Amino acid sequence: MLLYRMAGVLNFSIAVFGAFGAFIMVSLFERGLPFGLAIAVGVLAGLALSAAMGAVMAALFPDTDPITRSVVTIGMAISLFAVAFRIFGDRPRSFPPLFPSVSYTVSGVSLKLSGMVALGLASVLAFAIWLFLRRTRIGVQVAAMSTRSTTAELLGIPVRSYTVAIWALAGAIATMAPILAAPTRQADFTSLGLLVVPALAAALLGSFHSLGLTVVAGLGIGVLEAMAVRWPAVSTWRTTLPFFVILVVLLWRQRGEVWDEAR
Amino acid sequence: MKPVELASSLFSSTRDRAFPLSLVAVLTLFVLWLPDFWTFLFISALTTGLIALSVGIVYGRARMVSLCQFSFAAVGAWVVGWLNVNYNLPFVVMILVGGLAAVPLGALIGLLSLRLRGINLAVATLGFAAATIVYLRQTPFPGSFNGQFVERPAAFSSENRFFLLCAVVFAAVVSLVGYLDRRRVGRAWLAVRYSERATAAVGMSVARVKLAAFSLGAFVAAVGGGLLVGQNGIVSLRSFEPFDSLLIFAVAALTGARYVDGAIGAGLLGAILPELFRRWGIPLDVAPMLFGVGAIYVLSQGAEGAHGQLREQWRARRASRGLPTEGTGPARVPEPAGSESGPAFPPSGRGGRGTANRAGQPVLAIGGLTVRYGAVVALDRVDIDILPGTVHGLIGPNGAGKSTLIDTVTGFVEPAAGRVLLEGSAIDRLPVHKRARAGVRRTFQQGRAIPDLTVGQYLQLAGGRPEEFEDLLVFMDCPPVDRRISEIDMARRRPVEVAASLLGRPRVVLLDEPGAGLAEDESAALARRIADIPERFGCAVLLVEHDMTMVVGACDGITVLDFGETIASGPVDKVLEDPRVVEAYLGVPIEGVSS
Repeated sequence: MLLYRMAGVLNFSIAVFGAFGAFIMVSLFERGLPFGLAIAVGVLAGLALSAAMGAVMAALFPDTDPITRSVVTIGMAISLFAVAFRIFGDRPRSFPPLFPSVSYTVSGVSLKLSGMVALGLASVLAFAIWLFLRRTRIGVQVAAMSTRSTTAELLGIPVRSYTVAIWALAGAIATMAPILAAPTRQADFTSLGLLVVPALAAALLGSFHSLGLTVVAGLGIGVLEAMAVRWPAVSTWRTTLPFFVILVVLLWRQRGEVWDEAR
Repeated sequence: MKPVELASSLFSSTRDRAFPLSLVAVLTLFVLWLPDFWTFLFISALTTGLIALSVGIVYGRARMVSLCQFSFAAVGAWVVGWLNVNYNLPFVVMILVGGLAAVPLGALIGLLSLRLRGINLAVATLGFAAATIVYLRQTPFPGSFNGQFVERPAAFSSENRFFLLCAVVFAAVVSLVGYLDRRRVGRAWLAVRYSERATAAVGMSVARVKLAAFSLGAFVAAVGGGLLVGQNGIVSLRSFEPFDSLLIFAVAALTGARYVDGAIGAGLLGAILPELFRRWGIPLDVAPMLFGVGAIYVLSQGAEGAHGQLREQWRARRASRGLPTEGTGPARVPEPAGSESGPAFPPSGRGGRGTANRAGQPVLAIGGLTVRYGAVVALDRVDIDILPGTVHGLIGPNGAGKSTLIDTVTGFVEPAAGRVLLEGSAIDRLPVHKRARAGVRRTFQQGRAIPDLTVGQYLQLAGGRPEEFEDLLVFMDCPPVDRRISEIDMARRRPVEVAASLLGRPRVVLLDEPGAGLAEDESAALARRIADIPERFGCAVLLVEHDMTMVVGACDGITVLDFGETIASGPVDKVLEDPRVVEAYLGVPIEGVSS
């Protein structure tokens, strides 16, 4: 989401970066590192990995069409999956709970503390990014870069370093997501990496434009999934449920897009 | 150039095919000689190759990212298994039915591509892949409980025989795809990836073109899936995971599965490489890693994959050896424009410029046309009548609404008010490609000749027959039919686009700055040719142009727009003297003129 807005490309591999960081965190924790330190290292690893891939993208594909760039991120995702199997194996890991598993019951609906923290964090992040894009000079430059990379470069905007920085930031955020979400999900690498799917679903719902809407959409999909668990006929489909939702919404939003952008 | 040569250059694949065909022959013999274990792997290579080929159709040709090709394969496999349990059909028939069963599904997914593009489509298709695997997990593969496996037909029971069967099926599918490639729809696949508008403007329905690509892709993938069942007797669901679709996509992008050899290469990589790794003691998961990295590397070199790049080098080498390159003109020196060479085309079958038109009925009647973009009025009650046999100029400063007018007449922009009549019948309700077929053709200001096609293929896409091409290209002073449009400079592509717009017997062509970027003498020559169009092709012309020498040289009448309003209309010399026109162009009021 962040990447699409900022670097003009949606990233298929971003959740894989996140899963990578999260698994490093878990591995370190299992080896007896203090939890906080493990998280810090994990987030840094996700950040570094993402930054490295951003650098590859900036170096090799400075002015390529978005479709090719997307295909490149698919390639990255596949490679990283393979690397991750190598390092972490296919064994599910138990993630240490970040927060005590306390639930509050508000008018019949039980809310988990971790869920609420995730919600809060997501909202704060979205708001911060929104402020950054709207209110700062760099934000405006980044927005310019995402629409017209070459023009932005000609205006003296350091496109490359911005790209890398944005990828790094996205990688760090993506690492935090699975660390927060892992306790509620099965935590083998594939499922974490494929967290990309609901994440993309949320981003698509927000149509890559409104960050606030994206957060709402992400939460909505999460809630929907949780509700579907209770409804047997639908529960087996619950992982694919977001798709049907986004598909409908997406088609509705794009209903006017009869032609491609090439004029 | 004789028609035969022309046709062979147009369908130049005989030469292009010789290499992959001989490769296939050698490979086949080699595989038959191998022990059964390896033959089995090569069977996998062929089935995987088919699925890669399907990626080559949807992504390689039409540039639509589809991450669910293995789901289509699963459909084929499932149907074959189901038929095997319930009916007693020959194996080949079952495969065919399995392939056809995936077609509606492919078309359904293709429907999404009409509004979703790029990454959106990629995500939607990946979602479909995820949904398919969920469904398959709940519904066991037919026959898997009671051990009713799919039997290979008796004649093809050995590995060698079954390999031959697969090779024949593969060849049949490749011929089918190759046949469609040489048809208009195949040319249109390469056109939609470049510009959907340009595809519709030559009279092709973008929806049909995309659905055809997805349907064919689904068919090919499902045939691959069917063969997979025959190979193994039963298939595990693990073969159709979304990750496999992702992987085959990356491999297909890596090798360039748009080409047959690329698809075979993808099959070999996908099926043989892991086994080699196993033997060499390299961990198997290194393979996807390599595929990912390889795809990235290849893409950084160009979008067509490894085989695409090899072909480019091959082309370049062939071009440097004697074959004409950039800048050589047409096959023949053009006759001076205006000479009596007679019309290249008989006027349209509907009586052409005869009958109804004699009464002075305009070919194209634009009445009260109004277009608003939000609060901006782009066109304000514009009336233009284009009379048969004339070239009508449309001029005005930048932003006057000239291109908007063409967009509206051809159906790209919905007008707020007004009507468009083609020879007296309203075309307002028709979609773009139907307007084009009814006889309203256009060119684009930006130049929208399809770079991936040769001149001849582009003219074929525009609806022409090969025997028409030579005269037309000579008339428009265009490069020869076998020149790739990507090798022609931008300014010289426009005349090719104009030539294409004259095919398919249009009643009126709307030319949007065809002379942009041409040198002065060239644009004067182009002006003379445009002036000749009504005479030779029996169609009227609306010419949008900035170049005044061209307007004066080509036009009979002229309309001037400024800020969406008609400020003058009439014969060329009268209009150009009109003070308001001068003011609009120079931006200052001329003395003595009251506004």
